[in-house]
Amino acid sequence: MRAYLDPGAAVVSVAVAMVVGVYVVAVIDGTAGRLAAGAGRSDLGAVLLDPLRTVALLLTQRRRRTERADAPGWALAPGLLGGLAATGLAVVPVGPGTAVADPSTGFVVFATAIAFVMIAVFLHGWSPNSLFPLIGAYRYGAQALSLQIPFLLAMLATALPAESLAVMDIVEAQADLWNVVRQPLGLPLYLMVGVGVSFWGPLNLPDGADLIGGTSAEDAGTDRLAWELARAAMLFSIAAMGAAAFLGGWWGPLLPGPVWMALKTLFLLVVMVSSRHLVARVRIEPFVVACWAVFIPLALVNIFVSGALLL
Amino acid sequence: MNRSLTVDVLFWCFAAGSVLTGYLVFRTDSMVRAAFWLLASFVGVGAILVLLAAEFLGVVLILMMAGEMLIMAVVMVMFMMNPAGLNPMFMVHQHRFAVAAGVVSFAGLSAVALTVDFPDQPVDPAVDATAELGFELLGDSMLVFQTAGVALLATMIGAIALASRNGRFGTADEGSLEPALDIEELESP
Amino acid sequence: MGLRPAVERVAARAPVPVFAVAGAGAQAQVDDLLLQPRLHLVDSPAAANVLLIAGSVPAHLAGELARLHDGVSRPRLSLWWSLGSSVAPPMPPAVEVLDADPSVLVEAVVDTHRRLLFGELTSSPPVLPDEEPAPWRGIGPYGQGGTGMTGGVPYGRPMAEVAPDRDGLRLDQLTVRIGPFFARFPTGLVLEVQLQGDVVQQAHVVVAPEGEAAVEVDVPTTFRDALNTPVPVSVLELERARSHLRSIASALVAHQLPSLARRVLRFASNVHPDQSEDVQRLHRLLRRSQVLGWATKGVGPIPSDQLEGTATGPVARASGVDQDERTTDPAYLGLGFEPIVHDGGDARARMAQRLAEAGQALQLAGRAGDRHHDPEASLESPRGRLAVGDLPAQRLLPLLPAVLEGMEWGDAVSTVVSLDLDTDEVLALRSPDRELPVP
Repeated sequence: MRAYLDPGAAVVSVAVAMVVGVYVVAVIDGTAGRLAAGAGRSDLGAVLLDPLRTVALLLTQRRRRTERADAPGWALAPGLLGGLAATGLAVVPVGPGTAVADPSTGFVVFATAIAFVMIAVFLHGWSPNSLFPLIGAYRYGAQALSLQIPFLLAMLATALPAESLAVMDIVEAQADLWNVVRQPLGLPLYLMVGVGVSFWGPLNLPDGADLIGGTSAEDAGTDRLAWELARAAMLFSIAAMGAAAFLGGWWGPLLPGPVWMALKTLFLLVVMVSSRHLVARVRIEPFVVACWAVFIPLALVNIFVSGALLL
Repeated sequence: MNRSLTVDVLFWCFAAGSVLTGYLVFRTDSMVRAAFWLLASFVGVGAILVLLAAEFLGVVLILMMAGEMLIMAVVMVMFMMNPAGLNPMFMVHQHRFAVAAGVVSFAGLSAVALTVDFPDQPVDPAVDATAELGFELLGDSMLVFQTAGVALLATMIGAIALASRNGRFGTADEGSLEPALDIEELESP
Repeated sequence: MGLRPAVERVAARAPVPVFAVAGAGAQAQVDDLLLQPRLHLVDSPAAANVLLIAGSVPAHLAGELARLHDGVSRPRLSLWWSLGSSVAPPMPPAVEVLDADPSVLVEAVVDTHRRLLFGELTSSPPVLPDEEPAPWRGIGPYGQGGTGMTGGVPYGRPMAEVAPDRDGLRLDQLTVRIGPFFARFPTGLVLEVQLQGDVVQQAHVVVAPEGEAAVEVDVPTTFRDALNTPVPVSVLELERARSHLRSIASALVAHQLPSLARRVLRFASNVHPDQSEDVQRLHRLLRRSQVLGWATKGVGPIPSDQLEGTATGPVARASGVDQDERTTDPAYLGLGFEPIVHDGGDARARMAQRLAEAGQALQLAGRAGDRHHDPEASLESPRGRLAVGDLPAQRLLPLLPAVLEGMEWGDAVSTVVSLDLDTDEVLALRSPDRELPVP
């Protein structure tokens, strides 16, 4: 029988996990920024408290509405993105037999949540009826559609050893060897896609600096806060799924399963979040060409090789 | 609340939601909203498929529709001059024909729904529908799906070739113009 | 204590979101504000609560400044950092800071924001009147002034027209005016672009009409002083290095690497003749972050024949044009000065050129000793040959429409940033019909 929590406990546990995850993302981002800027390490208090202070600041800012905006869409978009992050996080197993939800098609549910991010970002860019948000929305459409197939193929390869689409089974199948060793191409592809889907750092094309904030260019107050929180939550849930599908989930010596999950998620978060301070933004056209012409063949090679090894 | 009552309530909610959002597709003037109402309708149908224990089909339906509706929205914005319905104009074309076609389709489908004898066997909970689907795809129905898969791959490659920057007569940036047919007169030396 | 005051107290200690407008004579100081941890410089007025106006903003930008002010999120206040200018901004600010010291400014901004949050200062009301963009015209079924799909101008906005694009389709095309306060563009640069999606189909540079009064720049800069008085070569070269490094920092922010930009700015503010090896390390860092890699390679190429003879400094030398006014300057004889030249002419070559010239400038400053630049000799500013009435921006901007045509918007921004246009020069441009003549 598949593991499921009852709805009340599920909502609470996912909400708590997301709050913790978002705070960790903000702290890692602040630390990585300070290290990249070469500032001293004496600012620990600022690193830990600035995210909370910025949340308070955004709560005091008043919201804005532009002329003839699509107000329901504008209000819905951050909530949709947050809900998708929660959906993705819910299917990640925490320990052997422990998960918020473990449907037999868990991997497909996660992929659906990732695909729906396109809708949330497009809605966020379309609704303000303004130039730069609209361009950001188009760009994300091109970026996300190009990333979707490499993502599905990279994750599909992890389902092959497990012979199941349930994430719990995918983790169980890594008892002897983690997928990152069996399928070395999978994790780098997955991380790149993860950064791309949550439009972070080098792949932050919809909210880019050349579009003065892109889809968030007209946001203020709680709209902006909700969007940033939802984006960080998406990054966190992608890192959690990466830890489960590629780094062996709860398997590991000495420490209990959930602690290993947390450590592996933290490791992937550090890699993904710090990319923002290390690599410049990609150019959209060469990136789209690279996705279709380079990353899809690489992902296919990954699948063929892991399939061949299994036969 | 016992299980089948929850399922029934959910079914009716999703069904009503799909019908309502389907209706809203035609009532809204904004093309992007129309695409997303249609998406919501499909999500409702996907959820009903999940309730029918066809988990994979339901979730994959939702997954595919996300990308498709986004592309539809973008294409409508590309080609329409009034995609958000901000300019006051009558947004519907071939109004009467569309209404007639809709009524005829509704009558036909309702006749089918009321007169056909649908199967009524609850799925055994021990059966993993996804695994059964997998066996079917790569067993009895393999020819169909492999043909469809190859056709889709050919379509993808064709679309990429069409969208590529290099046309037959040069790059798209320079207009990819075919060479002129007439021969230029050379100046006498 | 209630919840709202507690939230306000916590919020008052957050980095203050500031939208900074650099007027004449203020660009360098505004760029350096990125180093202040208590300020958070934002690109969009919607993200800001404080509108910081630095230096002197000319009167012809008054309308756009008012619109900018109304776009700042509430609770909002505007603050003027005079930086030695005596001309107040066209829109009266709520707070004035007359001290040029950045730490005094930061204190003023933080204090203003705190008082704004606690209600001691009231948020400034909108400057522009709240009126309908298009009046009821009576004609047409909705009063828009025309009939049918394209009749009239509904809500005051012209509808997008369709135009052929490079694939032969007819897609919608928007004509928009970008500037004069677009992030990382020089203040006062207005581009009227026709966009199809995010591809620039056509671009024009719009400048102030001829009748507008000239902006008085009260803040002296090293290179403007060198036009009139003898300035030590070491001072000139250190200032040149600083200017190039600041331009690189601005490009880094444009490519979404603000932390690396802070590192470069810190280096720029402490620049010293012994630091030319640090420039090498910076080059490696930029290469690794791909700013000197795929982010700028092939972006915005300007062929050398367009730049031959224009004396536009690093932009020309990055395209392979071997032209540097310092070769004719007697003060540089014996310093072993050779102009550095790159080829490629794209944004990457321009950035590499500036970095190399910064390193070279530091070396020259170390060797210069007591030499002084003669005001009679031609002057090579960090942007090209500078003379009274002959500004590098005047020679560079007419090239922009041809370069930007057909470019995707992100590349267009990278290109404009890579040209390193000076704010003071752009603000000084005038043209009789508001358009710059294309050569």
